Amino acid sequence: MKVLLLGMSHRSAPVEVREHFAAEGDAFEEALRKLVGHPEITEAVLISTCNRVEIVVTSQNASEARLRLENFFRSELGGNAPVPGGGDLDDHLYFHADQNAVSHVFRVASSLDSMVVGEPQILGQMKDAYRASVEAGSCGPILSRLFQRAFATAKRVKNETRVAQRPVSVARVAVELARQIFENLGDKKALMIGAGEMIEAALFALHREGLHSLRVANRTRARAEDLAQRFEASAHGLEDLDALLKDSDIVLSCIGGSGYVLEVEAVERATRARRNNRPIFLIDIGVPRNIDPAVDDLDSAFLYDIDNLQEIAFANEEERRRESQGAEKIVLEEQERLEGWMVALRAVPTIRHLRARAEAVRQAELEKSLGKMDLTDSQFERVEALTRSIVNKLLHRPLARLGAQTDREEGLVILEEARALFGLDDSDAPGSEVDSEVDSEDSAEGEGSSSTGTEGSESK
Amino acid sequence: MTGFQQAAAAIYLAAGIAALLGLVLPSPRLTRLAVWGLGLGAAVHMAAFATLHELQPVPQLTDLPYAISFMAWIAVISLLVLMWRLRLAELTAAVGPLAFLAAFMPSMGILAGSEGTGLPTGGTMPHAHVLLSSAGLGLLGISGLAGIFYLLEHRRLKSKRLGKGGFRLPSLEALDRVNVSALVVGFPLLSLGLITGSAWLYGASGQIWVWSPHAIWTLVGWGIYAAMSLARFAGHQGARQAAAAAVGGFAFLLFAVIGVEVLR
Repeated sequence: MKVLLLGMSHRSAPVEVREHFAAEGDAFEEALRKLVGHPEITEAVLISTCNRVEIVVTSQNASEARLRLENFFRSELGGNAPVPGGGDLDDHLYFHADQNAVSHVFRVASSLDSMVVGEPQILGQMKDAYRASVEAGSCGPILSRLFQRAFATAKRVKNETRVAQRPVSVARVAVELARQIFENLGDKKALMIGAGEMIEAALFALHREGLHSLRVANRTRARAEDLAQRFEASAHGLEDLDALLKDSDIVLSCIGGSGYVLEVEAVERATRARRNNRPIFLIDIGVPRNIDPAVDDLDSAFLYDIDNLQEIAFANEEERRRESQGAEKIVLEEQERLEGWMVALRAVPTIRHLRARAEAVRQAELEKSLGKMDLTDSQFERVEALTRSIVNKLLHRPLARLGAQTDREEGLVILEEARALFGLDDSDAPGSEVDSEVDSEDSAEGEGSSSTGTEGSESK
Repeated sequence: MTGFQQAAAAIYLAAGIAALLGLVLPSPRLTRLAVWGLGLGAAVHMAAFATLHELQPVPQLTDLPYAISFMAWIAVISLLVLMWRLRLAELTAAVGPLAFLAAFMPSMGILAGSEGTGLPTGGTMPHAHVLLSSAGLGLLGISGLAGIFYLLEHRRLKSKRLGKGGFRLPSLEALDRVNVSALVVGFPLLSLGLITGSAWLYGASGQIWVWSPHAIWTLVGWGIYAAMSLARFAGHQGARQAAAAAVGGFAFLLFAVIGVEVLR
């Protein structure tokens, strides 16, 4: 069984192409059901986020499955419409098989393939995708195992490396800085100057951090009120700034216009009025700047402008990239572990086959011999138990060895040797053919039985 | 007793090293482990003092090494209590090694018998003096260490080079609260320590004050802390100035208590 992956991501396709092939809602599960309805696809999981559309499948026939997946992209996901911006779909697709596919899924789950390395959303999106495929009935034991290991890998990467620890967006950097100044953001007051998109994003981030005492001040009070309403904040005009500053712990400014909205004198007055000169954290993301840079010279005022924040975000991103090298090692370890499991999975039919054959031999020999004897029921049961015990003891070591060794690469060789040694061909159906073989090898098996029987009793 | 002191010292050192590694690597798990280590060290340290009490109904806390060891124990307990409410685990990196030195002092014989007051050490008053003063000094020691961390973090935030290194110190607000708590609790304890010291002296010699170097430096140190409390609670001293004052004040008191004895 092969694991295959066909997809496109921010690395291979622009956003207009990705959004064209993205799957959502009911169409998602329906598409998966259709896909596993084809004989060459046994299991399928569809991952569709703003940065990637990928299908992971298992198949016995890689080449046919690949064609099927390409066709699936064109017809089911793309609706047979031309690729936006022209060009061929193949130019935007990548295909991975076996180890590469497993590695890719692990890297995606661990956020190593994300646009922003270490971003946490992708893991949740992959869990949603996995859940949807389970609900659609398209996810079987192999992909279940693959995705469970992918989630475990992501957890290890998160816990054992610092890939996801350092914020890389301006809003998150600002929140993180606020945490280094203030012990608890929940009881702090924030003042937002402006009412644009950046202020809205910051309000969202601060609200999510548990900061509920929010005020919005803007030149146009109506716009401030509109924004304030959505975040349970209070709305003010810029004329209230002096009064608001006195009890504000966090000030974020992004407002148009020339000249500083906050002069150093105003901030100094505010800090003096604050109990014990409590610190005040000011974030100026306006261009041109809204807050006088001299504010940073005040002891209890910490002023960060957009360049400062971006510099920290950039340094954090670099750090994440460095950390991702350690994460790659974890991915490799987990990939090897999963491969071991998949190889071990191949041993199951062989073990089952070997057991069936041994049982058939035992039954045949028993029938042949018991017909010539006159045994009571209890004697019959004892002979039956004896033969079963001999077979079990004979098979125990080889089967245990097969099970133990096949989770390694050399286990495949042992598996092949075992099949050759016991004559277990794929075409060999356990049951009738075993009987005929038993008949043809009658005399040899008979000798073997007696000798191994002795071994078995000795080992007792 | 010595065995427990040494064991406590070793655990403190291990906790300090773990916290330092947790800070530098940085590894929150290691830092948490260090805090547990500090707690374990404090428990063993307490067993050391309990044993001392069993061996001698009148413990030798008036011996400077034991007084310093007791001061370190109070400091560790205070920090653990503060950690209950504030994120201060990183302070273990500084408290651990210092507590190690203090707990190891009685075993090394450093400053042994250096008290040299010549006054009788029996009764309640000498021990009340030592216990209260040590507790006050221990708390002020924590304040001084928190002050160092405050100044470092303040400088880091002002430099805006937070991307490099990656280590994270406690928040400025938490460190400032340590300063305030130490002043609120520690300064009155130190004051009571001085009063009971005078009472002890009065009971033994009829005087309430003796102009020994140790007494003078302690009084000057107490004066510094009185000024700090006044500036903090009655004036408009900023958190950074308060942190710097706590560092200076603690360094001065260390000199008053230990330095003077060493130089004698």
